[in-house]
Amino acid sequence: MQTIFKTLFNCIRKSSAGHDEDRERFLAKTENFRLLLAANNKALEIMAQITEEAQSESVFSMAHVRAQSLKVASSVRQMIERLCLMAPGKYGELRDVFNTIVLSMEKAMDEGTKRDIGPLVLPMEDVRADSLPLTGSKMAMLGEVRAALGVEVPRGFSITASSYHLFMEQSGLGDEINRLIQIHDSETLDGLRLLEESIRHAIDMTVIPQDIEQLVTRNCRKFGNVSMAVRSSAVGEDSEDASFAGQFVSKLGVKAGDVLEAYRRVLASAYSATAMAYRLNRGLRDDAVVMCVACMEMVDAKAGGVIYTQSPMGHDDGRVVVNAVPGLPRTVVDGCSLVDSWVVERTSLAIRSKDIAAKEVCYVKTSCGRINKEKLYGDRSVAPSVSDSVVQRLVRLALRIESHFGTPQDIEWALARDGRIVILQCRPLSVRVPHEDILPHAHNDEDAASILLHSCVAASPGVAAGRVALVASDEDMSQFPENGVLLARSARPQLSVLMSQVCGLVTEYGSPVGHLANVAREFGKPYLIAGSGAVEQLSGVGMVTVNADTGNIYLGFRQTQIDGSATSTLPGPSNEVRLALQRMIPYIVPLSLTDPESPEFLPEYCTSLHDITRFCHEKAVNEMFMGGEQLTANARKLVGKMPMQYWLIDIGGGTAESCDNTRVCLDDIRSNTMKALWRGMTAIPWDGPPPVAPGGLMSVFSEAACNPALAPGMANSMGDRNYFTVGRHYCNLQSRFGFHFCTIEGFAGDDPAENYALFQFKGGGADMGRRSSRAHMIGDILEQHGFIVEVRDDALFARIEGVEKEAVEQALVVAGYLLVHTRQVDMIAANPDSLSQYGQKFTADIGALLSGLAGESQDWRCGA
Amino acid sequence: MQKIKLLLVDDEKDFLTVYARRFVRRNADITLASSGQEAIDKIQTIEFDVVILDVMMPEMNGIETLRRIKAIKPNLPVIILTGHANSQTMIEGMDIGAFDFLLKPVGTDELYFRVLDAVRSRHRAQM
Repeated sequence: MQTIFKTLFNCIRKSSAGHDEDRERFLAKTENFRLLLAANNKALEIMAQITEEAQSESVFSMAHVRAQSLKVASSVRQMIERLCLMAPGKYGELRDVFNTIVLSMEKAMDEGTKRDIGPLVLPMEDVRADSLPLTGSKMAMLGEVRAALGVEVPRGFSITASSYHLFMEQSGLGDEINRLIQIHDSETLDGLRLLEESIRHAIDMTVIPQDIEQLVTRNCRKFGNVSMAVRSSAVGEDSEDASFAGQFVSKLGVKAGDVLEAYRRVLASAYSATAMAYRLNRGLRDDAVVMCVACMEMVDAKAGGVIYTQSPMGHDDGRVVVNAVPGLPRTVVDGCSLVDSWVVERTSLAIRSKDIAAKEVCYVKTSCGRINKEKLYGDRSVAPSVSDSVVQRLVRLALRIESHFGTPQDIEWALARDGRIVILQCRPLSVRVPHEDILPHAHNDEDAASILLHSCVAASPGVAAGRVALVASDEDMSQFPENGVLLARSARPQLSVLMSQVCGLVTEYGSPVGHLANVAREFGKPYLIAGSGAVEQLSGVGMVTVNADTGNIYLGFRQTQIDGSATSTLPGPSNEVRLALQRMIPYIVPLSLTDPESPEFLPEYCTSLHDITRFCHEKAVNEMFMGGEQLTANARKLVGKMPMQYWLIDIGGGTAESCDNTRVCLDDIRSNTMKALWRGMTAIPWDGPPPVAPGGLMSVFSEAACNPALAPGMANSMGDRNYFTVGRHYCNLQSRFGFHFCTIEGFAGDDPAENYALFQFKGGGADMGRRSSRAHMIGDILEQHGFIVEVRDDALFARIEGVEKEAVEQALVVAGYLLVHTRQVDMIAANPDSLSQYGQKFTADIGALLSGLAGESQDWRCGA
Repeated sequence: MQKIKLLLVDDEKDFLTVYARRFVRRNADITLASSGQEAIDKIQTIEFDVVILDVMMPEMNGIETLRRIKAIKPNLPVIILTGHANSQTMIEGMDIGAFDFLLKPVGTDELYFRVLDAVRSRHRAQM
């Protein structure tokens, strides 16, 4: 590659004396101009993407937002650097303007992610509701009910947000995690799993700061030799619209000496694949995760469970639901067993119904503090987990908590062996709102004959139809089809990673109060718990309709069921990621610098990155073509029969030495690459603009009216001249054809490694859709001729490298032809048939052109 | 036939291996450095066309490495390629004179084309 420039350099040195320095400067300027245009295209393209993303419903992460902001900023900075190189000393102040805008943009993006400072560790007795920013929601709510209502909660302490920040910052762990998120693919489940593993490894490798270690050890000692529950209590977890149910890890039965290791595990769970997928789909920021951890004494539970103080399905029938299992309440929430349930009248506390299930397993705390999973058989399996009187005590307590917070509650509890009721967690209950005008269960079931399963327990309301896909392994999860009905034995919380892909869920086991049910309700996905045997009955049946409003599952797609759905979706949380993107937009997209003739067309009036691109583009064009300085003094007018004006600058060996200093004839051209390009441009005359339908013409008029880049001031600023810069084996054409701007460049010498051809093309008079279609059509043709092509919107970048000189010459013939003949084709690009016809004509013309080249190209290289 | 002489600087061995393999296929002559100091040592003894530099590295980070490279070889183009998506770092890097600032992951074509741009730009600037 160096040789190209040495060759050019030598050519210049050997060329006629007097203008060498100008030529060298012009060549450097041309290169900087080309790079500036490429950066301009990239910046405008990312701005277009950002604008679209800010208004779309698509899902993207904060890492994507940061990447987009940096890509657009670095492209704009690249333009500034190129402009400064084109005109040293003239535009340096743009850098300060740029830096100010970028730093303001970053500040806007991170607005609202303020950090609360406080102790590293906070004992339960000091925790209240307003401790939430420091301790996370779970711990804060427990502290509040303990202090305000005297409710019994486990003894313990919080490892606070301050500890989290210290851990993340002291050793650069936070930066490393952000870097890992940036470089990994987070759009696929497999990518997320790989990312989870990398982050876990980074956390494992990081030493916990000594201050945290000492404080945690000291606080553990206060509780003696008891085992602890180390539970996530992230800031933002357990909120009404984003429960994070089951997304983070809780470690139970942890010995005091192992608490720090459990702390590490809980921190890492903030970056589990399921948690990251949850955040991505809920529009929550990965970089706003603050994982506080609750360390609480384990309760020796005789039974445990969950209370909902209202139906989560949205029908407030004045009843409270109590779910219970023997031992610890873990099986209620992780969905691996059936559970007992009671429905209790909230005013009279009368028990309206109860359902005692045949429970298969339970978790118990052993005498040494560990947690054991036990199988349940016989009477133990079918005995009620708690008595009716305990249920009534629980409801009374739950209603006090609900009354204190003023919203329906989702409460996790444990009944200690000594009869105490201990509250383990309370959080606002997510309630689905039913449509008022449609009553559930009011369908005329004309589909009754196709019912596969009925009387299933609804865990999340709604109706959906899709193909059944059994998930029994990680591989099944990776291959889960879009909009499938998820079928599984148990309601493992890990299944929630698929929530954005499923249209409905059916599990054999589980509970409406389990984690999976919570997440299904948040995502508005119907979910039925169908009982034992459902997997066998539904596997392989194909399309089913899941009606969680009636508890039925139908074979096939049942429109009447879907039409009769009574449920609206739960409003999602505000999309923090999209909001961050929207806050950045004022610093990126608005264009206020539209008039180059205005006295305010100055760097200090640039208020957005778009303004800077506009300013740089205008000034670069001026510097390149309108400078009036010595650079273009070497330019000679190309004379001959041609419709446009061309000017030519010979950097050495590109023209016959005999020609004069003001004009150059086509016969005087010696540059093989220019000859090839010229051949492509002129061998087949242009037929003129395509016949345009009124819509196409209107599109051009409206685009010209709306797009400042096409305003008259802009059009003029591009200059009327089209410049060829030529050497013996080199040619560069900077040209504006109609509304599009184009650069073609090529070098074709004896060493294939040095040879290349470039084709950059952007713009047009029609709307973006048509311009983009034209760019794609041109790209397809270029690809057929060996170019590597990238098309984004209406910008096309094509390159061919490291090939024989004949291949470069052919490539330039193709590029030259397309430059001339695709003019105004964007106007008819809305009609695929017309576009296709043009494509076929271009392909045929190019084929004919290339087939007649063999002898001619020899002449190009031999010279005239 | 002259190859592009490229110095890849990154403390992640996997990254170096993958990109070295991809660039060798494109007829580039690759030298690897796994730290900022190693990169500085190498540019003093070998003439490179372009440096591709990571930011987050232990001991001497990419920005400090860039500063030292520019002090020794002001015209040597340095492309920053990082997973560290931070505006301040980008501004600092470009202020010091980086040729470009790219974010990982980056496609091989895109990176290769930026390398070619850097090579051309350097030689033309010297003309």
